Amino acid sequence: MHSQGSITFKESSRQAGCSQRAHRRALLFAGIALAAMACTACVSKSAAPDGTRPFVDEIGRTIQVKLHPQRIVSLAPSVTETLFALGLGDRIVGVTSYCDYPVEATSKERVGDTMRPGIERIVALKPDLVIASTASQLEEFVHSLDQAGVPIYVSNPRDMEGVLKSIEMTAELTGVSERGRDLCDQLRARIEAVQARTDRLERPRVLFVLSSSPLITAGGRSFINDLINRAGGRSISADQNSDYPQYSLETAVAGRPEVIFLQTGDAAFPNRLKETPAATSGRVFHLDNNLLLRPGPRVVQGLEEMATRIHPEAFGKSENPE
Amino acid sequence: MSATATVDMKPEGLRERLTARRLVLTLVVLGIVLVLFVAIATAVGSEHVTIGSVLRIVAAEITGRTADVTPEQRIIIAGIRLPRVLMAIVVGAALSVAGGAYQALLRNPLGDPYILGVSTGAALGAILATVFAETLPLSRPAAAFIGAVATIAVVYVLGQSRHGGTSERLILAGVIVNAFLSSGVIFLVTTASGSRQRSVLSWLIGDLSGESRLLPLVGLFVLAGIGVIYANARSLNLLMTGEEEALALGVEVTRVKVTVYLAASLITGAAVAVSGVIGFVGLIVPHAIRLAGGSDNRLVIPASALVGGAFLLLADTVARTVISPRELHIGVITAMIGAPVFIYLLRRTS
Repeated sequence: MHSQGSITFKESSRQAGCSQRAHRRALLFAGIALAAMACTACVSKSAAPDGTRPFVDEIGRTIQVKLHPQRIVSLAPSVTETLFALGLGDRIVGVTSYCDYPVEATSKERVGDTMRPGIERIVALKPDLVIASTASQLEEFVHSLDQAGVPIYVSNPRDMEGVLKSIEMTAELTGVSERGRDLCDQLRARIEAVQARTDRLERPRVLFVLSSSPLITAGGRSFINDLINRAGGRSISADQNSDYPQYSLETAVAGRPEVIFLQTGDAAFPNRLKETPAATSGRVFHLDNNLLLRPGPRVVQGLEEMATRIHPEAFGKSENPE
Repeated sequence: MSATATVDMKPEGLRERLTARRLVLTLVVLGIVLVLFVAIATAVGSEHVTIGSVLRIVAAEITGRTADVTPEQRIIIAGIRLPRVLMAIVVGAALSVAGGAYQALLRNPLGDPYILGVSTGAALGAILATVFAETLPLSRPAAAFIGAVATIAVVYVLGQSRHGGTSERLILAGVIVNAFLSSGVIFLVTTASGSRQRSVLSWLIGDLSGESRLLPLVGLFVLAGIGVIYANARSLNLLMTGEEEALALGVEVTRVKVTVYLAASLITGAAVAVSGVIGFVGLIVPHAIRLAGGSDNRLVIPASALVGGAFLLLADTVARTVISPRELHIGVITAMIGAPVFIYLLRRTS
C-alpha cells in the first residue's frame, strides 16, 4: 500500500522531471503514513475511567473519544459520504449545507457551510464526535471546538491512498473497523481494476479545467492530479507546485491537450481551446466535480468515469457512457 | 516632473498656456510609447514565440492571408495574446479618462471610478447578469452600464446638500456606497456555486484573461465616451474655476455635468464588463499627467487615455509573465503601485 503510494509519486514527478524532490516527498509521505500507522497501532483499546480513549487524527492531534460515538457531526461532504458508506447514517446528528449525498443527508440538521460552521449549533447538538476535513481548511475552527471541549477529528486525505486510509481510520474511530476494511477492500479492488487496464497504455495529455474564467487547472500535488495519473492520463499542468493554479491560456494551448475535462456547471467552454486536439477530436467531457473533489468513497466512481473517457478503448465503451 | 508642480485643481494649475503645437507633440510622443509597449507586450508571454513569427502572424491577421506558423502559435498570438493586449489598453484608457473626468467635475484629486463606487456598481450589475441572466446576449455589459450609471446617480444625490454638493460630501457618499455595493458582491460570491465562485470572485479583483468577444463593442463604446468627454474639455476647464464663474462665461453647467458624468460612468461600465474591478488606475494616471503637463483637460483627457492604456498594459504583462505559466491578478499589481501613490496624494491634500 505504501510502496504503491510512493510509486505514484515517483511516476507523476518523473513526468515533471524533478525526481530528487519527488524522492524526498515520497520518503516524507511514507514517513508520515508509517507514523500514522504506528500511532493508530498504539491506540489502547482499553478505555479511560470516563469511557473515552485517546485517538490520533490525520494531522497528528490526539483527541479523547468515546469507544462507540453515537452523536456525530460531519463538517465536510466527503466525511458525510464516508459515514453513510460505513452504514453510520443514523448516528449523524449534524451536517453542512454542502452535504447533499446520499439523499438522507439532506434531512439532517444543518450546522452551516464548510467555511463557517456555526459553533453554537454544533455545541448545542451535544456531539460525541465532530469530524472535519482539511479539504475545508478549518484550522481556526478546530481550535475553537477544542476550547469548547468537543472532540474533533481532522481527516487529511491528500491522494487516493489517503482516502482509503481516511475511511479505515473513520471506521476504527467509530467502532466499525470490520466494515471499514470491507469497504476499503472493495474500493481498492475497483481502483486496481482501473489501473490494470490503463497502466500499459499510451498516456494522453489531459487538461483539467476547474474554472474556465479565469482558467484554473490542477497542479502536480493536487488530489486531481493523482486521479488523472491513475486513470491513465498525464496532466499538462502536472509541473505546477500549487494545488490549483490560475494558469496561462497560452500554455494550455501550447500543451496540445488530447482530452479536456470541464466541471458540470461551468457553462462556458473557452473559445480559444476550440482548436486543441481534444476539441477537434470531440474529447471534451463534463465531469461531476462532486465525484472528483470530495475525497470520499465516491471518488472511485470519479476515477472510473475519468478512465473510461481517457481510454474508452480499454473499457470497451463508447466515448460517452452516460 | 518639476518640483514646483502642484496637484492643484484650481486654475493656477493651468499655469502654462497649452499651445496646439505642445498638445500634438505630447500626444504623438505618448502614442509612440504606447505602440512600443504593444510591440513588447505582444512579443512576451508564457509561451515563447519568435519575434519573426509574431510579426508574420500579426501581418497575416491584418491582410487576411495565412502565415507559415503552427496552428498553436497562431492561436496563442492572434487568439489569446493580442486580444488581451488590446483589452488592457481599452480598459486602462477608459478607467483613466473616467478618473480624469471625475476629478475635473469634483475639483478634487480623489475622483476615481473605484473610489466613487462606480466600478463596484458595474461589477455588481455584471455579476447579477452572470448569475441570473446568463443566456441573454449582451446582458452582462448592459447590466454593467446600468450598475455604473445608477451608482453615480445615487452617489450624486447623496452628495447634495441644501447648498449644493461639495466634492468632499460626494466622495464620502461614494466611499459609503462603494462599501455597501462591495458587501452585495461579497454576498453573491459566498452564495455562488463552487465552480462559479472563482469566476465571480475574479470580478472583485479584476482579470483580463476572459473571453474577448466583447472587445470590438467595448472598444467602440470607450472611444465614443472618450470623444464626448474630450469635446467637453474646455467647459471642464472653466468648471474647475467654479460653477458660478463657468455660468457667467456661458457654460451650460448642468448639461456639461450630466453629459460628462454619464460618459465617464458608461466607459467605466464598459471596462468593468470585460475586466472586473481594477482599482487605482483612474486615480494615478490623470495625476501623473497633471504633475507633468498641467491641468488643462484638453491635454489631460487624451493623454490619460494613452498613458492609462500603456500603464495597464504594463501591469497586465507583468501579471501574466512574472510567474508564468501561472498568472497573478492584475489588481494586485495596480494596487501595489497605486496604494502608495494614493497615500502620497492624501498627504498632499491634507
